[in-house]
Amino acid sequence: MRFIIELHEALLIAWDAVRANKLRAGLTTLGIVVGIVTVTLMGTAIQGIQRGFRQSISVLGTDVLYVQRFDWFINSHAEWLRQQRRREITWSQFKALERQLNSARAVAPMVDIREAVKYKNRSATGVTIIGTTDQFLVTGGVGISEGRFITPEESEGGRPVCVVGAQTATNLFRGEPILGSRVYVGGHPFEVVGVLEKQGEFLGAFSLDNQVVIPIGQLTAHFVPFPDYTIQVKVGDESRLEDVREEVRGLMRKIRHVQPGDDDDFAINQQDQFIKTFNRVTGVIATVGLFITGLSLFVGGIGIMNIMFVSVAERTREIGIRKAIGAKRRNILIQFLLESMCICLFGGCIGLALAAPLTLALRRLMPATMSFGLVGLSLGVSLVVGVIAGFMPAWRAARLNPVEALRNE
Amino acid sequence: MSLIRLDRVSRYYRMGAETIRALEEVSLTIDRGEYVAIMGPSGSGKSTLMNLLGCLDTPTSGVYELNGLNVSEMDDNQLAEVRNREIGFVFQTFNLLPRATALRNVELPLIYAGLAAEERRQRALEALERVGLGGRVNHKPMELSGGQGQRVAIARALVNRPSILLADEPTGNLDSKTGMEIMAIFNDLAATGHTIILVTHEEDIAHCARRIIRLRDGRIASDDPVRK
Ligand SMILES: Nc1ncnc2c1ncn2[C@@H]1O[C@H](COP(=O)(O)OP(=O)(O)O)[C@@H](O)[C@H]1O
Ligand SMILES: [Mg+2]
Repeated sequence: MRFIIELHEALLIAWDAVRANKLRAGLTTLGIVVGIVTVTLMGTAIQGIQRGFRQSISVLGTDVLYVQRFDWFINSHAEWLRQQRRREITWSQFKALERQLNSARAVAPMVDIREAVKYKNRSATGVTIIGTTDQFLVTGGVGISEGRFITPEESEGGRPVCVVGAQTATNLFRGEPILGSRVYVGGHPFEVVGVLEKQGEFLGAFSLDNQVVIPIGQLTAHFVPFPDYTIQVKVGDESRLEDVREEVRGLMRKIRHVQPGDDDDFAINQQDQFIKTFNRVTGVIATVGLFITGLSLFVGGIGIMNIMFVSVAERTREIGIRKAIGAKRRNILIQFLLESMCICLFGGCIGLALAAPLTLALRRLMPATMSFGLVGLSLGVSLVVGVIAGFMPAWRAARLNPVEALRNE
Repeated sequence: MSLIRLDRVSRYYRMGAETIRALEEVSLTIDRGEYVAIMGPSGSGKSTLMNLLGCLDTPTSGVYELNGLNVSEMDDNQLAEVRNREIGFVFQTFNLLPRATALRNVELPLIYAGLAAEERRQRALEALERVGLGGRVNHKPMELSGGQGQRVAIARALVNRPSILLADEPTGNLDSKTGMEIMAIFNDLAATGHTIILVTHEEDIAHCARRIIRLRDGRIASDDPVRK
């Protein structure tokens, strides 16, 4: 009870002191304002990028392994040169893996090329042509919005059918019935049997909907006879990801005749490699942001400390009076700490008020929202700066000798 | 038992190489209910003595007992507590908080005593009533005359019902008529049993008290009852 009364009194005094010097308080908070704007914008940006990234990355599937010739992320030139010497992944290797691997839910080969696609006199260029099997429906995590996907029989066989992506469909068709119509992929006729669901963009850069899926047999027949395959392995259960990965690795080493003790001559890529690399990037952003934040908060804190020393000097007589009347050291200490915290909180609020419209601007670039956590963090940081910056002046005030303080004019 | 007992109390100030002996082995007792005036030429140690009596300062040597408690050995916070409970100060320059109303100024000691808002207000109003300022409670010090300001200060000194009222030249900044009005309040308080110690250099003010202590060069030169 007593503490609450004292705290209340200290708050009143602090508030009164800040109000009496609004302009001065406002000016000294500049550093805090910059710091808080930086920290909130940076936090918002990182969260926004992360959210956008996770949305994109989810098309890779959290439980899908990509068996490929190259690693997604190669760290050195030497490593790149080494990987260039790797042999391609062949059809028979895929078949062998598919036959021997029985712990995975689905295995699909995948080859992609770029070709123009034509319908009547319209054409779409730069379309990704994916050659695969019926299993791609499972491994690729795609959905069908119209018609059907390619069947097991069509997969390796000669029937020229295709499934078009949502974007390609709207690019080529103007209200004509899509299913059953004939499109030309790189000059070869294909019958459209289905349309894929819209998937959005990958990393905000390229559309996943501007694609055409054709049977792998058709792709090797017309475009690339001996492609370098990617083998998609859908585990079906994230908890078994590591086990299946090890099994795939063992099988691939056997299939490709890798000698014991030699390094793998293939890569097993998965989503979390993207995440790891991505986290490194956001880590760099965060480090730079934190540096700017730290610097401005430091400069801001020094400014606040300075102004608090001024405030203590100006009010020495008041301190003397309060002490003569019975204020203890802690009363004076808390009074000035709260004043410093009020000023910093004030700066924090200005910072947030500036950051809010900037966040809206950021929203054009990424799914950015200023989270409650960030607002809380900013206010918390402001208060901490207030305590740290105010401590020295408040401590000095608390220790003033009442007789000397009273003599002060 | 005496309310105040000083036993060979000294207070020295060190000014570089020089030591100023502001008080030299002063021994003194004051009982509850006494009305004492302290006189002496400028620099004789009156304010130093008041600061010691008021626990704003501690002696260089000697023992000061207030209400049986050895004040000379207390730390900062204990002294603050004693000042809050036992001492009411009235200063020559009033020393009111300029931005606070009369009422808030008077409430201040009660805030540090930890009293709840309602009781604080009640007691502060009573104290202001007592010094004849019941109608001015929401005025700021700037809006009050000198005499009224000093009344607020007296109300503030009284409000926590201290054992002693200490006044260092309370009429020093007032004209003689207002000064006598303030002295009338002190006389009245003394008549109702308050212990009052005041510093003055005016004989007729000092003669309001019932005992006059005269200091010279930090020592007690005389200590006599006032004959009326
Ligand atoms: N803080 C101080 N530092 C140094 N000397 C002081 C201090 N306070 C008082 N003195 C000296 O102590 C002596 C007594 O001062 P004071 O008690 O203020 O006298 P009075 O109130 O009787 O005029 C004077 O010589 C004064 O200069
Ligand atoms: Mg003096």
